[in-house]
Formats: sequence, structure tokens, C-alpha cells
Amino acid sequence: MIECPNCKNKEYSGALFCSQCGSQLTKGNDATQSLMRDTGSAIFDSAVIRKLKDMPSGVAVDEATVTLHVLDTGQFLPLSGQDSFTLGRLSQGQPHGPDIDLTDYNAYMQGVSRIHATITVEKGRVYITDMGSVNGTRVNGNRLEPHAARPLQNGDIVILGKLKLQAIIRY
Amino acid sequence: MPDFSDNYYARLGIPFNATRDEVRNAYHDAARRLHPDANPSPGAVDQFLRVQEAYEILIDPQKREEYDLTLPSVDSSLGITIDTVYSRNELLRSPDPQLIYVMMEFIPIPTTEEVSTPLNLCIVIDRSTSMQGDRMDVVKAAAISIVRQLHPTDYLSIVSFSDRAEVIVPAMHSSNGLEKIESQITMLQPGGGTEIYRGLQAGFDEITRFLRPNYLNHLFLITDGQTYGDEQACLDLADQARDSGVTINGLGIGNEWNDKFLDTLTGVTGGNSTYVSDPRDIKRFMELKLKRLNRVFAENVILNMKLAEDVEIHYAFRLGPEPTKLPVDMPLNLGNIQSDSGLTIVFELFVKKIAQHNSMVLMDGIFRYEIPTRIIPTVRTPISISRPVSHADGQQKPPPQKIVQAMSKLTLYRMQEQAKQDLEAGKIEQATRRLRFLATHLLAQGETSLATTVLGEAGRIERERSLSEEGEKRIKYGTRSLLLPPGSGVNL
Repeated sequence: MIECPNCKNKEYSGALFCSQCGSQLTKGNDATQSLMRDTGSAIFDSAVIRKLKDMPSGVAVDEATVTLHVLDTGQFLPLSGQDSFTLGRLSQGQPHGPDIDLTDYNAYMQGVSRIHATITVEKGRVYITDMGSVNGTRVNGNRLEPHAARPLQNGDIVILGKLKLQAIIRY
Repeated sequence: MPDFSDNYYARLGIPFNATRDEVRNAYHDAARRLHPDANPSPGAVDQFLRVQEAYEILIDPQKREEYDLTLPSVDSSLGITIDTVYSRNELLRSPDPQLIYVMMEFIPIPTTEEVSTPLNLCIVIDRSTSMQGDRMDVVKAAAISIVRQLHPTDYLSIVSFSDRAEVIVPAMHSSNGLEKIESQITMLQPGGGTEIYRGLQAGFDEITRFLRPNYLNHLFLITDGQTYGDEQACLDLADQARDSGVTINGLGIGNEWNDKFLDTLTGVTGGNSTYVSDPRDIKRFMELKLKRLNRVFAENVILNMKLAEDVEIHYAFRLGPEPTKLPVDMPLNLGNIQSDSGLTIVFELFVKKIAQHNSMVLMDGIFRYEIPTRIIPTVRTPISISRPVSHADGQQKPPPQKIVQAMSKLTLYRMQEQAKQDLEAGKIEQATRRLRFLATHLLAQGETSLATTVLGEAGRIERERSLSEEGEKRIKYGTRSLLLPPGSGVNL
């Protein structure tokens, strides 16, 4: 038996994909490695990617405004215009990226999945949900169960794979 | 040139190089099916006599040799190449069970002369009360459009059913009175319940009137309802249809019909079923089907493999054309092979225990099909699926990209299947979890609307412990359509 690195489901040896979470299981040719090659030469169509810097900052979403602070590089990413945002990275051949593309923040090397997590704002409350990412999501050091929403407080440290973000929430 | 199409080999459905055992078995099979005591269909007696005549000549080596001399030169080449790809280059000598994926691609070798094979087509139309209005009108229009596109040599019959069946147009050459056929279709009135078996039986009877080896025998079933209590009778009839070389294709309209049942019913005959939510797609579906039939190179493509001890087929799927889950029992009816595209299937084989040799035969058997443009249509060839067995773990090459790509898409289809199984088994949490993972993958592929449906259904399961009929079908056929080559249209 082999264990799915993503969701710990057990599969028979020789299985190509996890039957529970759909992750690719084969070694030597897994998604991560083939993407490594892809991203090396990828030319992204910048028109397709929703560039964060082009977005208006600080617009109120319901009653709460979320800004993500990328701790390693010091940038601030305001989330605005919607009440739900997917976080992840755009990869080649993927027609639609996440709402917030973290490719520019070295997301790939930091182990961020293509659709890694979702931040939702509901009635002034902010929640984060891990979307079954390969390397998991931590909030203040605690790993989230995939697909279970967890409330997010101002100042919480969110780690997607290894990428550290701080949630700044203004009411 | 004399017509050799009605030769003795074709009558028995055997290849030119058939052994005496094959001659005998083919005769016994046909006799069991056609014997007047067992088969009351109108064409059966005549067919039985013709088969009997063929058998008496071919079973006698001397008479057979003399008969062969009367035939023109026979093309007995395979006409199809088989490309087999494995997910692993070797099996591991390990006490643990293991999986291996086998992908088989059947590619026709184009012939110089492209002749389209005549059809023996029966359209079976559900005219139950629920078909009233739009649906009935569109079905009528679609049927008329099909009738107009048939070739003069094609046979056509039309049957309608509710809780009983009526033969609207008995099997005949479609050129005989096109106008009359059209007016018969126009006069169809909805009303009554839905008993699919009645329609199928009447349709099958019409097709059997002209069961010729050089014809493509197809039944189109159009329904919007569930059938009650006659499922088993329908499935028995499907087995009979398969044995007679009749393919059943299903078209389900709206959300009420029983997709699982229709999938099984059509699957055993090598056909498939399709979901149409918008009645306007009916015409498109039927025309596409007809176009495909006009390009058939080989039909009744059957794989009959014997599995090694300790090997099971866990999953079988036809990737293309017309992606469809296949039954895991043999013989496996794969449907048609079109002249302009191949046919691709994939097996997930479960190897419980590795053989004690350096190589292991996983399954072997025969691959047979009919090329209707040939004088002797039946071709068969042995097939064996085997892999070397190794000790070392480090020798595994990465699986071929082709298989990985196909399986990555098929995995999504299987996730929704498994979520439904979880739900049936009462594992609510597992089902919703799986659906949410599925939604994530769909989002990553840009299938936003399908992902939203999946998430909606996951929420519904948590609240109500069930899926909505519409959502369930949308997810099933939506994930299945991901397997279609790009640009081939939704769901068809």
C-alpha cells in the first residue's frame, strides 16, 4: 500500500491517482516535477492573470476588509471586489488561475498549490478554508483540516505550504 | 459481379480461417438464438434455415474446400492495429497486491475505397405523457431529419411506446414512401406511462427482420422517464441484442430518467447513453450519431479475455470515442471503430498475487470485430497482456504521459462515482469531502460552473443527505465530458 501525501488515504501500489483527493501519486513524474519544468519556461499571458497591483486597494467587502501581508517580501495584497477569494498560483495550461495569484511571491518554490486556500468574508467575519492543498495551510502554526472553514482574526499568520502571510483585517 | 455478401462465413459470423470448433460454436450460438421454439420473432425462422445451410457446408472439410473455391479472393488482414500502453514497465515481486493500468488503442488502417455501410436503424420513441409539448415536437423533428438523411439502401423502422408499444413505421427501405413515414411521425401523440421494455422489444423485433451481416444494426432509444419493474426484462433483451449484433444507444431527456439503468442497458451492447437537458440538443445528438454511423469501419468490436488467476479488472472505461464506463465482465462489447478515429480503452487491473515467473500473463484471449465492407466481415486475432516481473524497486520508469493524462481526467469522473457510493453507504462526511476535493480540481481546470454545482451538491448532502437529480446528472455527465477531446461539444 502507498499513502497519499496530500490526504493520507491508502491506495494500492501502482495507483496513479488518489481516489479520495485526486492527487497524482506516482513518483518520478509527479505533478510537482513536471510543473518545475513548465514554470521554468512559462510565459504567462499577463492579460489573463489578475494582477494584484492593478486592483483598487482597501475597498470595503461587506463590513470587513482583508489585506494579506507577504512577510518575506513585505508586499501588501488587498483583497477587494468580491466576498470570496481563491489563493494559489497560476500554472501553464490552466485556463483560469486563482483570484489571488501568488506566483510572483515565489509560490511555486514555497509549495503553494494551484488552488490552495479560499478566504471568504461573510457578514463581517473572515474565514479561511484549505482547498485540499498538497502542502497544507497553517494558521498560527495549526494545520487546517482540508475543506473546513476556520475563522481568521486580525494579525493571524497564515502559511500556505511555506509561504508566510499575515492577515490584516479592518472593520 | 455476383453478390457474395450472403456467404456462409458471413451468415455464421465467423472468420475465413475459423476452426471447426468455431464453426460448431457459432452454429450452436445462432441456433440457440434463432430456433423457432425459442424465438418467435418474424425473421427468425428464415435466418435459422440460412444458418443451418451454412453450417452443413462449413463443418464438412471437403465441402468447405469446394465452397471456398467459389468465393473471390478474401481479404483476411486484420485491418486494425493495436497499440498497448502500460502504466508500469514491470510488476514488482512483492507480497502486496498492486495495480497496473493498461491502455489499448485500436487504430483502423484506412482502406483505399471508403464505402459507407448501410444501416438497419430503429428509432424507439417514448411517447409517455411527460413528453408532451416541446419535447415531443423536437423529437419528431429530429426523427424526420434523420429519415431524410438516410441512404436508399438503409432500413428504417420507428416504434413508439408508453405503457404499450406501436410500430409506427415497420422496417423497410427508407426510400419507400418518405412522405408517408414523415406523416406517421408527425401524427405521434403523447399519452400514457413509460414501459421501456415494450418499446425495446418491438424495436428489436423490427430490426431482426433484416439482420444482415453487412448492415449496421442500431436502435436509438429516446426517453424522458424511469421504467418501472421491467428493468430486468430490458437487460435480458440487451444481452440478446448484443448476441445478435444490435447496438442500443440511449438518449435521456431532462432529469427524471434513470441514467444508471440506461448506461448499463446500452453499455452491454457497445452503445452509450447521453444526457440532454435542452430538448433542442436532441436533433444535434441524433445527427451526430448518424454521422458517426456513416463512418463506421468495424462494428461489434468485442474483447473476450480470460483473466489470470489472482487478477481482477477493477475498472474498465472507453476513453474515446464517446467516453463510457464499461462493464468489467467478459466478453466486453466495445462498440464501433470509425474509419477516421481509433478506439481507446483503459483497464485498471488489480493483481492480488504475483506469479512465480519472470513474466506474468495478466489476461489473454481474443479480439474480434466485423468489417462490414468485406465479403467475410468477421476478423479475430489473439491478444495477450503480460508484463515482466522484477525484484528491484528502483527500476520503475515513470508511467507514460498518455496514461497519466487520461487517468487524471478519469479520476475526476471516478471521484463523483465514489462520492455517490459513499452516500449510498451512508458515509456522508466521506462523500462531501470527496466532492469538495473534486470541486477544487475542477476550479483549477477552469470548470467554474461545474465546480459550483459540485460544491452546491456537497452542501446539499450535508443538509439533506441526498443529491438533487439534476445536480447528480450534471456532475456525472460534466466530469465525463472532460474526457472528450477539446472542441467536440458539451455532453455529446
